[in-house]
Amino acid sequence: MKLNEFMRDRQGQVFLHIVSMAALSVFLYLTGTAPGVLILVLLVWILGLVASMLLKYHKEYSRLKELESIMDGLDKKYLFAECVSKPVDIYERKIFQLMRRSGKAMIEAVSEAQNGQKEYREYIEDWVHEIKAPITAGQLICGNNKSELSRKLLPQLAQIEEHVERALYYARAGSVEKDFIIRKMSLSDIIKEAVARHQTLLIQNGVKMETSGLDVMVYTDGKWVTFMIGQLLSNAMRYRTENPVIRIEAYNYGKQVRLSVTDNGIGVPAGELPRIFERGFTGSNGRERGGSTGMGLYICKKLADFLQIRLDAEAVQNEYTSISMTFPAKENLAKM
Amino acid sequence: MHRIIIIEDDTSIRDELTLLLTNEGYHVFALTDFSEAGKQAEEYRPNLILLDLGLPGRDGFALCKDIRKKSSVPIIFVTSRDNSMDELRALSLGGDDYVTKPYNIPVLLARIKAVLRRSADFGGQEDYTEANGLRLDLSRGILEYNSKNCEATKNEIKILCCLMRRPGEIISRADLIEYLWDNQIYIDDNTLSVNMTRLRAKLTDLGLGDYITTKRGMGYKI
Repeated sequence: MKLNEFMRDRQGQVFLHIVSMAALSVFLYLTGTAPGVLILVLLVWILGLVASMLLKYHKEYSRLKELESIMDGLDKKYLFAECVSKPVDIYERKIFQLMRRSGKAMIEAVSEAQNGQKEYREYIEDWVHEIKAPITAGQLICGNNKSELSRKLLPQLAQIEEHVERALYYARAGSVEKDFIIRKMSLSDIIKEAVARHQTLLIQNGVKMETSGLDVMVYTDGKWVTFMIGQLLSNAMRYRTENPVIRIEAYNYGKQVRLSVTDNGIGVPAGELPRIFERGFTGSNGRERGGSTGMGLYICKKLADFLQIRLDAEAVQNEYTSISMTFPAKENLAKM
Repeated sequence: MHRIIIIEDDTSIRDELTLLLTNEGYHVFALTDFSEAGKQAEEYRPNLILLDLGLPGRDGFALCKDIRKKSSVPIIFVTSRDNSMDELRALSLGGDDYVTKPYNIPVLLARIKAVLRRSADFGGQEDYTEANGLRLDLSRGILEYNSKNCEATKNEIKILCCLMRRPGEIISRADLIEYLWDNQIYIDDNTLSVNMTRLRAKLTDLGLGDYITTKRGMGYKI
Protein backbone atom coordinates (compact mmCIF):
# COMPACT_ATOMS: atom_id res chain seq x y z
CA MET A 1 0.00 0.00 0.00
CA LYS A 2 1.48 3.29 -1.05
CA LEU A 3 0.78 6.67 0.58
CA ASN A 4 -1.05 8.02 -2.46
CA GLU A 5 -3.25 4.92 -2.58
CA PHE A 6 -4.02 5.48 1.09
CA MET A 7 -4.85 9.15 0.44
CA ARG A 8 -7.03 8.36 -2.52
CA ASP A 9 -9.11 6.14 -0.24
CA ARG A 10 -9.60 9.12 2.09
CA GLN A 11 -10.45 11.76 -0.51
CA GLY A 12 -13.97 12.11 0.89
CA GLN A 13 -12.74 12.54 4.43
CA VAL A 14 -10.19 15.21 3.43
CA PHE A 15 -12.81 16.99 1.35
CA LEU A 16 -15.16 17.04 4.34
CA HIS A 17 -12.40 18.54 6.50
CA ILE A 18 -11.75 21.26 3.91
CA VAL A 19 -15.44 22.12 3.69
CA SER A 20 -15.66 22.27 7.49
CA MET A 21 -12.55 24.45 7.65
CA ALA A 22 -14.05 26.83 5.10
CA ALA A 23 -17.35 26.96 6.99
CA LEU A 24 -15.58 27.62 10.28
CA SER A 25 -13.42 30.33 8.70
CA VAL A 26 -16.46 32.10 7.29
CA PHE A 27 -18.28 31.83 10.63
CA LEU A 28 -15.29 33.08 12.65
CA TYR A 29 -14.60 35.88 10.17
CA LEU A 30 -18.18 37.08 10.25
CA THR A 31 -18.31 36.96 14.03
CA GLY A 32 -15.25 39.22 14.09
CA THR A 33 -12.35 36.95 14.97
CA ALA A 34 -8.97 38.41 14.15
CA PRO A 35 -7.38 36.92 10.98
CA GLY A 36 -4.24 35.91 12.94
CA VAL A 37 -6.26 33.81 15.36
CA LEU A 38 -8.20 32.33 12.47
CA ILE A 39 -5.00 31.20 10.73
CA LEU A 40 -3.70 29.71 13.97
CA VAL A 41 -6.90 27.73 14.46
CA LEU A 42 -6.70 26.43 10.88
CA LEU A 43 -3.02 25.50 11.28
CA VAL A 44 -3.68 23.52 14.44
CA TRP A 45 -6.54 21.78 12.66
CA ILE A 46 -4.41 20.87 9.63
CA LEU A 47 -1.56 19.68 11.83
CA GLY A 48 -3.88 17.45 13.84
CA LEU A 49 -5.42 16.06 10.65
CA VAL A 50 -2.06 15.28 8.99
CA ALA A 51 -0.67 13.71 12.17
CA SER A 52 -3.68 11.45 12.68
CA MET A 53 -3.63 10.44 9.02
CA LEU A 54 0.08 9.60 9.09
CA LEU A 55 -0.36 7.59 12.25
CA LYS A 56 -3.23 5.69 10.70
CA TYR A 57 -1.21 5.10 7.54
CA HIS A 58 1.74 3.80 9.51
CA LYS A 59 -0.46 1.45 11.50
CA GLU A 60 -2.22 0.04 8.47
CA TYR A 61 0.99 -0.21 6.50
CA SER A 62 2.84 -2.25 9.11
CA ARG A 63 -0.17 -4.45 9.78
CA LEU A 64 -0.50 -5.21 6.08
CA LYS A 65 3.22 -6.00 5.86
CA GLU A 66 2.86 -8.41 8.74
CA LEU A 67 -0.14 -10.15 7.15
CA GLU A 68 1.59 -10.42 3.80
CA SER A 69 4.67 -12.02 5.31
CA ILE A 70 2.49 -14.52 7.18
CA MET A 71 0.74 -15.37 3.93
CA ASP A 72 4.02 -15.78 2.07
CA GLY A 73 5.33 -18.12 4.72
CA LEU A 74 2.25 -20.32 4.65
CA ASP A 75 2.34 -23.68 2.91
CA LYS A 76 -1.42 -24.10 2.84
CA LYS A 77 -2.70 -20.61 2.06
CA TYR A 78 -6.25 -21.39 3.01
CA LEU A 79 -5.18 -21.66 6.66
CA PHE A 80 -4.38 -17.93 6.64
CA ALA A 81 -7.19 -16.80 8.90
CA GLU A 82 -6.13 -19.38 11.50
CA CYS A 83 -2.58 -18.15 11.62
CA VAL A 84 -2.77 -14.35 12.01
CA SER A 85 -2.59 -12.61 15.38
CA LYS A 86 -5.89 -11.34 16.65
CA PRO A 87 -6.67 -7.82 15.39
CA VAL A 88 -7.29 -5.02 17.89
CA ASP A 89 -9.81 -2.74 16.29
CA ILE A 90 -13.41 -3.76 16.10
CA TYR A 91 -13.90 -3.39 12.34
CA GLU A 92 -10.93 -5.56 11.48
CA ARG A 93 -11.96 -8.03 14.14
CA LYS A 94 -15.39 -8.44 12.57
CA ILE A 95 -13.85 -8.93 9.13
CA PHE A 96 -11.51 -11.56 10.53
CA GLN A 97 -14.34 -13.41 12.20
CA LEU A 98 -16.03 -13.62 8.82
CA MET A 99 -12.83 -14.76 7.11
CA ARG A 100 -12.29 -17.35 9.75
CA ARG A 101 -15.76 -18.75 9.26
CA SER A 102 -15.25 -18.93 5.55
CA GLY A 103 -11.80 -20.46 6.07
CA LYS A 104 -13.20 -23.09 8.39
CA ALA A 105 -15.81 -24.09 5.87
CA MET A 106 -13.07 -24.30 3.25
CA ILE A 107 -10.84 -26.44 5.46
CA GLU A 108 -13.71 -28.78 6.13
CA ALA A 109 -14.50 -29.04 2.45
CA VAL A 110 -10.86 -29.68 1.60
CA SER A 111 -10.36 -32.39 4.20
CA GLU A 112 -13.62 -33.99 3.23
CA ALA A 113 -12.47 -34.09 -0.38
CA GLN A 114 -9.09 -35.45 0.67
CA ASN A 115 -10.66 -38.18 2.76
CA GLY A 116 -13.00 -39.06 -0.05
CA GLN A 117 -10.12 -39.30 -2.46
CA LYS A 118 -8.10 -41.41 -0.06
CA GLU A 119 -10.98 -43.78 0.51
CA TYR A 120 -11.55 -44.06 -3.21
CA ARG A 121 -7.89 -44.72 -3.81
CA GLU A 122 -7.80 -47.40 -1.15
CA TYR A 123 -10.89 -48.98 -2.61
CA ILE A 124 -9.28 -49.06 -6.06
CA GLU A 125 -6.18 -50.68 -4.57
CA ASP A 126 -8.23 -53.33 -2.79
CA TRP A 127 -10.29 -53.92 -5.87
CA VAL A 128 -7.18 -54.36 -7.99
CA HIS A 129 -5.78 -56.91 -5.56
CA GLU A 130 -9.04 -58.80 -5.54
CA ILE A 131 -9.39 -58.95 -9.29
CA LYS A 132 -5.87 -60.28 -9.59
CA ALA A 133 -6.91 -63.59 -8.03
CA PRO A 134 -9.34 -64.59 -10.82
CA ILE A 135 -6.90 -63.31 -13.46
CA THR A 136 -4.18 -65.50 -11.95
CA ALA A 137 -6.51 -68.48 -11.86
CA GLY A 138 -7.49 -67.83 -15.49
CA GLN A 139 -3.86 -67.68 -16.58
CA LEU A 140 -3.07 -70.91 -14.78
CA ILE A 141 -6.07 -72.64 -16.34
CA CYS A 142 -4.88 -71.51 -19.79
CA GLY A 143 -1.34 -72.62 -19.00
CA ASN A 144 -2.51 -76.06 -17.91
CA ASN A 145 -4.76 -76.54 -20.95
CA LYS A 146 -2.77 -75.28 -23.89
CA SER A 147 -4.89 -75.15 -27.01
CA GLU A 148 -6.06 -72.79 -29.72
CA LEU A 149 -8.62 -71.50 -27.27
CA SER A 150 -6.14 -70.81 -24.51
CA ARG A 151 -3.88 -68.99 -26.97
CA LYS A 152 -6.76 -66.72 -27.85
CA LEU A 153 -7.78 -66.24 -24.25
CA LEU A 154 -4.35 -65.54 -22.78
CA PRO A 155 -3.79 -62.23 -24.57
CA GLN A 156 -7.21 -61.10 -23.46
CA LEU A 157 -6.27 -61.91 -19.88
CA ALA A 158 -3.00 -60.10 -20.41
CA GLN A 159 -4.90 -57.05 -21.58
CA ILE A 160 -7.20 -57.14 -18.59
CA GLU A 161 -4.13 -57.37 -16.41
CA GLU A 162 -2.54 -54.43 -18.13
CA HIS A 163 -5.60 -52.24 -17.72
CA VAL A 164 -5.89 -53.24 -14.10
CA GLU A 165 -2.23 -52.51 -13.45
CA ARG A 166 -2.59 -49.11 -15.01
CA ALA A 167 -5.50 -48.29 -12.72
CA LEU A 168 -3.44 -49.37 -9.74
CA TYR A 169 -0.40 -47.38 -10.74
CA TYR A 170 -2.51 -44.35 -11.44
CA ALA A 171 -4.20 -44.64 -8.06
CA ARG A 172 -0.79 -44.91 -6.50
CA ALA A 173 1.22 -42.50 -8.56
CA GLY A 174 0.46 -39.80 -6.01
CA SER A 175 2.14 -41.79 -3.27
CA VAL A 176 4.95 -43.49 -5.12
CA GLU A 177 7.43 -42.03 -2.66
CA LYS A 178 6.20 -44.54 -0.11
CA ASP A 179 6.30 -47.45 -2.45
CA PHE A 180 9.66 -48.17 -3.95
CA ILE A 181 12.92 -49.78 -3.04
CA ILE A 182 16.04 -48.76 -4.92
CA ARG A 183 18.17 -51.82 -5.38
CA LYS A 184 20.88 -53.04 -7.64
CA MET A 185 18.94 -54.76 -10.41
CA SER A 186 19.99 -56.70 -13.45
CA LEU A 187 18.54 -54.93 -16.45
CA SER A 188 18.26 -58.20 -18.34
CA ASP A 189 16.10 -59.66 -15.53
CA ILE A 190 13.83 -56.63 -15.69
CA ILE A 191 13.46 -56.93 -19.46
CA LYS A 192 12.92 -60.68 -19.18
CA GLU A 193 10.04 -60.14 -16.80
CA ALA A 194 8.49 -57.31 -18.81
CA VAL A 195 8.66 -59.31 -22.04
CA ALA A 196 7.31 -62.44 -20.36
CA ARG A 197 4.30 -60.48 -19.16
CA HIS A 198 3.46 -59.44 -22.73
CA GLN A 199 4.77 -62.54 -24.44
CA THR A 200 1.58 -64.03 -25.84
CA LEU A 201 0.50 -60.77 -27.40
CA LEU A 202 3.96 -60.06 -28.80
CA ILE A 203 4.13 -63.48 -30.43
CA GLN A 204 0.64 -63.18 -31.84
CA ASN A 205 1.44 -59.85 -33.40
CA GLY A 206 4.41 -61.49 -35.07
CA VAL A 207 6.86 -59.24 -33.30
CA LYS A 208 10.55 -59.90 -33.62
CA MET A 209 12.65 -58.62 -30.77
CA GLU A 210 16.29 -57.80 -30.77
CA THR A 211 18.17 -57.17 -27.58
CA SER A 212 21.69 -56.05 -26.98
CA GLY A 213 23.89 -54.92 -24.14
CA LEU A 214 21.39 -55.82 -21.44
CA ASP A 215 23.96 -57.40 -19.14
CA VAL A 216 24.29 -54.34 -16.98
CA MET A 217 23.22 -53.45 -13.50
CA VAL A 218 21.10 -50.42 -12.66
CA TYR A 219 20.10 -48.91 -9.36
CA THR A 220 16.35 -48.59 -9.42
CA ASP A 221 13.07 -50.14 -8.40
CA GLY A 222 12.43 -53.27 -10.44
CA LYS A 223 8.67 -53.32 -10.17
CA TRP A 224 8.09 -49.80 -11.50
CA VAL A 225 10.62 -50.14 -14.30
CA THR A 226 9.08 -53.45 -15.36
CA PHE A 227 5.73 -51.70 -15.55
CA MET A 228 7.17 -48.82 -17.59
CA ILE A 229 8.86 -51.12 -20.08
CA GLY A 230 5.61 -53.07 -20.33
CA GLN A 231 3.86 -49.84 -21.31
CA LEU A 232 6.48 -49.14 -23.98
CA LEU A 233 6.14 -52.66 -25.39
CA SER A 234 2.40 -52.40 -25.48
CA ASN A 235 2.61 -49.04 -27.25
CA ALA A 236 5.03 -50.51 -29.76
CA MET A 237 2.51 -53.23 -30.49
CA ARG A 238 -0.44 -50.89 -30.74
CA TYR A 239 1.27 -48.61 -33.24
CA ARG A 240 2.96 -51.31 -35.27
CA THR A 241 3.19 -51.71 -39.00
CA GLU A 242 3.77 -54.90 -40.94
CA ASN A 243 6.74 -57.03 -39.83
CA PRO A 244 7.11 -55.35 -36.47
CA VAL A 245 10.54 -55.32 -34.90
CA ILE A 246 11.25 -54.03 -31.39
CA ARG A 247 14.85 -53.34 -30.49
CA ILE A 248 15.83 -53.07 -26.84
CA GLU A 249 19.36 -51.83 -26.30
CA ALA A 250 21.31 -50.67 -23.32
CA TYR A 251 24.60 -48.86 -23.32
CA ASN A 252 26.72 -46.82 -20.99
CA TYR A 253 26.13 -43.12 -21.20
CA GLY A 254 28.89 -41.57 -19.17
CA LYS A 255 28.42 -43.03 -15.72
CA GLN A 256 24.76 -43.63 -16.42
CA VAL A 257 23.05 -46.46 -18.21
CA ARG A 258 20.69 -45.70 -21.03
CA LEU A 259 18.06 -48.12 -22.21
CA SER A 260 16.19 -47.56 -25.42
CA VAL A 261 13.11 -49.27 -26.78
CA THR A 262 12.78 -48.69 -30.50
CA ASP A 263 10.09 -49.93 -32.83
CA ASN A 264 9.61 -49.69 -36.56
CA GLY A 265 6.01 -48.60 -36.22
CA ILE A 266 4.00 -45.66 -37.45
CA GLY A 267 5.99 -43.10 -35.49
CA VAL A 268 4.71 -39.78 -34.20
CA PRO A 269 4.12 -36.57 -36.18
CA ALA A 270 6.90 -34.11 -35.34
CA GLY A 271 4.47 -31.54 -34.02
CA GLU A 272 2.97 -33.95 -31.52
CA LEU A 273 6.21 -35.38 -30.19
CA PRO A 274 6.76 -32.86 -27.37
CA ARG A 275 3.30 -33.59 -26.01
CA ILE A 276 3.26 -37.39 -25.84
CA PHE A 277 3.99 -37.48 -22.10
CA GLU A 278 1.08 -35.19 -21.34
CA ARG A 279 -1.91 -36.49 -19.47
CA GLY A 280 -4.71 -37.60 -21.74
CA PHE A 281 -2.86 -36.75 -24.93
CA THR A 282 -3.75 -39.26 -27.60
CA GLY A 283 -2.64 -37.44 -30.74
CA SER A 284 -3.66 -38.22 -34.28
CA ASN A 285 -2.40 -41.82 -34.00
CA GLY A 286 -4.58 -42.46 -30.99
CA ARG A 287 -7.59 -40.88 -32.65
CA GLU A 288 -7.22 -42.91 -35.81
CA ARG A 289 -6.61 -46.23 -34.12
CA GLY A 290 -8.80 -45.79 -31.08
CA GLY A 291 -8.33 -47.56 -27.79
CA SER A 292 -5.70 -45.20 -26.46
CA THR A 293 -6.29 -43.35 -23.26
CA GLY A 294 -3.33 -41.03 -23.22
CA MET A 295 -2.49 -42.31 -19.76
CA GLY A 296 0.27 -44.86 -20.37
CA LEU A 297 3.15 -42.54 -21.16
CA TYR A 298 1.86 -39.94 -18.73
CA ILE A 299 2.11 -42.43 -15.87
CA CYS A 300 5.52 -43.55 -17.13
CA LYS A 301 6.72 -39.98 -17.01
CA LYS A 302 5.48 -39.49 -13.47
CA LEU A 303 7.13 -42.68 -12.32
CA ALA A 304 10.34 -41.81 -14.11
CA ASP A 305 10.48 -38.47 -12.34
CA PHE A 306 10.20 -40.19 -8.98
CA LEU A 307 12.93 -42.67 -9.83
CA GLN A 308 15.15 -39.94 -11.32
CA ILE A 309 15.07 -41.65 -14.68
CA ARG A 310 15.21 -39.36 -17.68
CA LEU A 311 12.70 -40.19 -20.39
CA ASP A 312 13.39 -39.05 -23.93
CA ALA A 313 11.32 -39.63 -27.00
CA GLU A 314 12.49 -39.60 -30.57
CA ALA A 315 10.33 -40.44 -33.56
CA VAL A 316 9.94 -40.04 -37.30
CA GLN A 317 6.50 -40.42 -38.74
CA ASN A 318 5.99 -43.71 -40.58
CA GLU A 319 9.47 -44.85 -39.62
CA TYR A 320 10.10 -45.43 -35.94
CA THR A 321 9.51 -44.41 -32.36
CA SER A 322 12.25 -44.65 -29.79
CA ILE A 323 11.83 -44.03 -26.10
CA SER A 324 14.94 -44.01 -23.98
CA MET A 325 15.32 -44.24 -20.24
CA THR A 326 18.48 -42.92 -18.68
CA PHE A 327 19.07 -44.46 -15.27
CA PRO A 328 20.87 -42.34 -12.71
CA ALA A 329 24.40 -43.28 -11.73
CA LYS A 330 24.63 -44.78 -8.26
CA GLU A 331 26.46 -41.82 -6.75
CA ASN A 332 23.99 -39.37 -8.26
CA LEU A 333 20.98 -40.93 -6.64
CA ALA A 334 19.86 -38.13 -4.41
CA LYS A 335 18.25 -39.10 -1.17
CA MET A 336 14.69 -40.05 -1.94
CA MET B 1 11.93 -85.28 -6.96
CA HIS B 2 11.51 -81.92 -5.28
CA ARG B 3 8.68 -81.52 -2.86
CA ILE B 4 6.72 -78.29 -2.84
CA ILE B 5 4.12 -77.12 -0.35
CA ILE B 6 1.50 -74.67 -1.60
CA ILE B 7 -0.18 -72.44 0.95
CA GLU B 8 -2.92 -70.58 -0.90
CA ASP B 9 -6.51 -69.87 0.09
CA ASP B 10 -8.07 -69.32 -3.35
CA THR B 11 -9.22 -72.79 -4.35
CA SER B 12 -9.06 -72.38 -8.12
CA ILE B 13 -5.54 -70.97 -7.96
CA ARG B 14 -4.53 -73.71 -5.55
CA ASP B 15 -5.88 -76.49 -7.78
CA GLU B 16 -4.43 -75.10 -10.98
CA LEU B 17 -1.07 -74.40 -9.38
CA THR B 18 -0.97 -77.95 -8.05
CA LEU B 19 -1.72 -79.28 -11.53
CA LEU B 20 0.90 -77.02 -13.13
CA LEU B 21 3.68 -77.98 -10.74
CA THR B 22 2.75 -81.67 -10.86
CA ASN B 23 2.99 -81.52 -14.65
CA GLU B 24 6.42 -79.95 -14.25
CA GLY B 25 7.46 -82.99 -12.24
CA TYR B 26 7.29 -81.72 -8.68
CA HIS B 27 5.69 -83.47 -5.75
CA VAL B 28 3.04 -81.06 -4.62
CA PHE B 29 1.25 -80.88 -1.34
CA ALA B 30 -1.43 -78.20 -1.05
CA LEU B 31 -2.43 -77.20 2.46
CA THR B 32 -6.11 -76.60 3.10
CA ASP B 33 -5.87 -75.97 6.84
CA PHE B 34 -3.39 -73.22 7.53
CA SER B 35 -3.45 -73.32 11.33
CA GLU B 36 -0.94 -76.16 11.43
CA ALA B 37 1.27 -74.88 8.63
CA GLY B 38 4.39 -74.73 10.76
CA LYS B 39 3.99 -78.31 11.91
CA GLN B 40 3.09 -79.61 8.46
CA ALA B 41 6.04 -77.85 6.93
CA GLU B 42 8.21 -79.81 9.29
CA GLU B 43 6.53 -83.16 8.74
CA TYR B 44 6.37 -83.04 4.97
CA ARG B 45 10.02 -81.96 4.65
CA PRO B 46 9.49 -79.89 1.50
CA ASN B 47 12.28 -78.45 -0.61
CA LEU B 48 10.25 -75.30 -1.16
CA ILE B 49 7.15 -73.54 0.11
CA LEU B 50 4.97 -71.27 -2.00
CA LEU B 51 3.30 -68.98 0.50
CA ASP B 52 0.41 -66.63 -0.21
CA LEU B 53 0.43 -63.45 1.84
CA GLY B 54 -3.28 -62.70 1.99
CA LEU B 55 -4.64 -65.64 3.93
CA PRO B 56 -7.77 -65.58 6.07
CA GLY B 57 -7.10 -65.40 9.78
CA ARG B 58 -3.33 -65.29 10.14
CA ASP B 59 -1.51 -63.84 7.22
CA GLY B 60 1.51 -65.16 5.38
CA PHE B 61 3.94 -63.12 7.44
CA ALA B 62 2.83 -64.86 10.63
CA LEU B 63 3.01 -68.27 8.97
CA CYS B 64 6.47 -67.48 7.68
CA LYS B 65 7.60 -66.69 11.23
CA ASP B 66 6.14 -70.00 12.42
CA ILE B 67 7.84 -71.97 9.70
CA ARG B 68 11.14 -70.20 10.22
CA LYS B 69 11.14 -71.21 13.89
CA LYS B 70 11.34 -74.83 12.84
CA SER B 71 13.00 -75.00 9.47
CA SER B 72 15.08 -73.10 6.98
CA VAL B 73 13.22 -74.40 3.92
CA PRO B 74 13.22 -71.91 1.02
CA ILE B 75 10.05 -69.84 0.92
CA ILE B 76 8.72 -67.97 -2.09
CA PHE B 77 6.04 -65.44 -1.28
CA VAL B 78 3.27 -65.25 -3.84
CA THR B 79 0.92 -62.33 -3.50
CA SER B 80 -1.28 -59.85 -5.25
CA ARG B 81 -0.20 -57.14 -2.81
CA ASP B 82 2.72 -55.69 -4.64
CA ASN B 83 3.81 -52.80 -2.52
CA SER B 84 7.40 -52.40 -1.52
CA MET B 85 6.86 -52.45 2.22
CA ASP B 86 5.35 -55.93 2.01
CA GLU B 87 8.17 -57.08 -0.20
CA LEU B 88 10.78 -55.73 2.19
CA ARG B 89 9.02 -57.31 5.14
CA ALA B 90 8.71 -60.65 3.37
CA LEU B 91 12.38 -60.75 2.54
CA SER B 92 13.44 -59.64 5.99
CA LEU B 93 11.34 -62.38 7.58
CA GLY B 94 13.41 -64.92 5.71
CA GLY B 95 11.53 -65.25 2.44
CA ASP B 96 13.76 -66.26 -0.47
CA ASP B 97 11.81 -64.61 -3.26
CA TYR B 98 8.71 -62.56 -3.83
CA VAL B 99 6.48 -63.08 -6.86
CA THR B 100 3.44 -60.96 -7.55
CA LYS B 101 0.16 -62.16 -9.02
CA PRO B 102 -0.88 -62.47 -11.72
CA TYR B 103 2.32 -64.28 -12.42
CA ASN B 104 3.51 -65.26 -15.78
CA ILE B 105 3.88 -69.04 -15.69
CA PRO B 106 7.41 -69.30 -17.17
CA VAL B 107 8.56 -66.55 -14.81
CA LEU B 108 7.14 -68.38 -11.80
CA LEU B 109 8.72 -71.68 -12.87
CA ALA B 110 12.06 -69.98 -13.47
CA ARG B 111 11.99 -68.40 -10.01
CA ILE B 112 11.13 -71.75 -8.41
CA LYS B 113 14.04 -73.37 -10.23
CA ALA B 114 16.39 -70.57 -9.25
CA VAL B 115 15.50 -70.82 -5.57
CA LEU B 116 15.83 -74.61 -5.62
CA ARG B 117 19.17 -74.33 -7.31
CA ARG B 118 20.39 -71.91 -4.68
CA SER B 119 19.36 -74.17 -1.83
CA ALA B 120 22.04 -76.70 -1.07
CA ASP B 121 20.23 -79.92 -1.86
CA PHE B 122 19.71 -79.27 -5.53
CA GLY B 123 21.60 -81.76 -7.66
CA GLY B 124 23.92 -80.59 -10.41
CA GLN B 125 22.14 -79.63 -13.61
CA GLU B 126 22.52 -81.79 -16.65
CA ASP B 127 24.67 -80.14 -19.21
CA TYR B 128 23.90 -82.46 -22.05
CA THR B 129 20.86 -84.15 -23.50
CA GLU B 130 20.49 -87.05 -25.90
CA ALA B 131 17.81 -88.43 -28.21
CA ASN B 132 17.87 -90.93 -31.09
CA GLY B 133 21.66 -91.06 -31.09
CA LEU B 134 22.24 -87.32 -31.28
CA ARG B 135 24.04 -85.88 -28.29
CA LEU B 136 23.70 -82.23 -27.44
CA ASP B 137 26.41 -80.60 -25.34
CA LEU B 138 24.59 -77.67 -23.80
CA SER B 139 27.52 -76.00 -22.08
CA ARG B 140 29.72 -75.88 -25.17
CA GLY B 141 26.94 -75.67 -27.78
CA ILE B 142 28.08 -78.68 -29.78
CA LEU B 143 26.14 -81.40 -31.62
CA GLU B 144 27.69 -84.89 -31.61
CA TYR B 145 26.70 -87.91 -33.68
CA ASN B 146 28.78 -90.99 -34.46
CA SER B 147 32.01 -89.27 -33.34
CA LYS B 148 31.36 -86.41 -35.75
CA ASN B 149 30.49 -83.07 -34.29
CA CYS B 150 29.69 -79.48 -35.22
CA GLU B 151 29.00 -76.21 -33.47
CA ALA B 152 25.50 -74.81 -33.19
CA THR B 153 24.16 -71.37 -32.32
CA LYS B 154 22.17 -70.64 -29.19
CA ASN B 155 18.92 -70.54 -31.18
CA GLU B 156 19.62 -73.89 -32.85
CA ILE B 157 20.50 -75.50 -29.51
CA LYS B 158 17.27 -74.30 -27.95
CA ILE B 159 15.17 -75.49 -30.88
CA LEU B 160 16.71 -78.94 -30.57
CA CYS B 161 16.25 -78.86 -26.80
CA CYS B 162 12.57 -78.22 -27.19
CA LEU B 163 12.09 -81.06 -29.66
CA MET B 164 14.31 -83.50 -27.74
CA ARG B 165 12.35 -83.00 -24.54
CA ARG B 166 9.49 -84.96 -26.03
CA PRO B 167 10.80 -87.30 -28.72
CA GLY B 168 8.11 -88.79 -30.95
CA GLU B 169 5.66 -86.01 -30.18
CA ILE B 170 4.62 -83.40 -32.68
CA ILE B 171 5.58 -79.96 -31.50
CA SER B 172 3.66 -77.16 -33.17
CA ARG B 173 5.44 -74.05 -34.42
CA ALA B 174 3.46 -72.00 -31.91
CA ASP B 175 4.67 -74.19 -29.03
CA LEU B 176 8.20 -73.98 -30.36
CA ILE B 177 8.15 -70.20 -30.58
CA GLU B 178 6.66 -69.96 -27.10
CA TYR B 179 9.41 -72.18 -25.73
CA LEU B 180 12.06 -70.02 -27.37
CA TRP B 181 10.55 -66.81 -25.97
CA ASP B 182 10.50 -68.43 -22.54
CA ASN B 183 14.24 -68.79 -23.01
CA GLN B 184 14.76 -65.19 -24.09
CA ILE B 185 15.05 -65.92 -27.79
CA TYR B 186 12.56 -63.44 -29.18
CA ILE B 187 12.11 -64.53 -32.79
CA ASP B 188 9.22 -64.38 -35.20
CA ASP B 189 7.87 -67.05 -37.50
CA ASN B 190 10.15 -66.21 -40.44
CA THR B 191 13.29 -66.26 -38.34
CA LEU B 192 12.27 -69.65 -36.98
CA SER B 193 12.09 -70.96 -40.54
CA VAL B 194 15.55 -69.59 -41.30
CA ASN B 195 16.98 -71.12 -38.12
CA MET B 196 15.30 -74.41 -38.92
CA THR B 197 16.82 -74.52 -42.40
CA ARG B 198 20.32 -73.83 -41.03
CA LEU B 199 19.89 -76.42 -38.31
CA ARG B 200 18.79 -79.02 -40.84
CA ALA B 201 21.84 -78.27 -42.98
CA LYS B 202 24.10 -78.85 -39.99
CA LEU B 203 22.32 -82.10 -39.14
CA THR B 204 22.69 -83.24 -42.75
CA ASP B 205 26.44 -82.61 -42.50
CA LEU B 206 26.47 -84.93 -39.49
CA GLY B 207 24.62 -87.54 -41.53
CA LEU B 208 21.25 -86.89 -39.87
CA GLY B 209 19.40 -85.51 -42.89
CA ASP B 210 15.94 -86.55 -41.73
CA TYR B 211 16.44 -86.16 -38.00
CA ILE B 212 13.66 -83.59 -37.78
CA THR B 213 10.51 -84.45 -39.66
CA THR B 214 7.98 -81.84 -40.69
CA LYS B 215 4.30 -82.59 -40.28
CA ARG B 216 2.61 -80.22 -42.64
CA GLY B 217 0.26 -77.85 -40.88
CA MET B 218 1.01 -79.47 -37.54
CA GLY B 219 4.61 -78.97 -36.59
CA TYR B 220 7.88 -80.83 -36.11
CA LYS B 221 8.87 -84.14 -34.64
CA ILE B 222 12.06 -86.03 -33.91
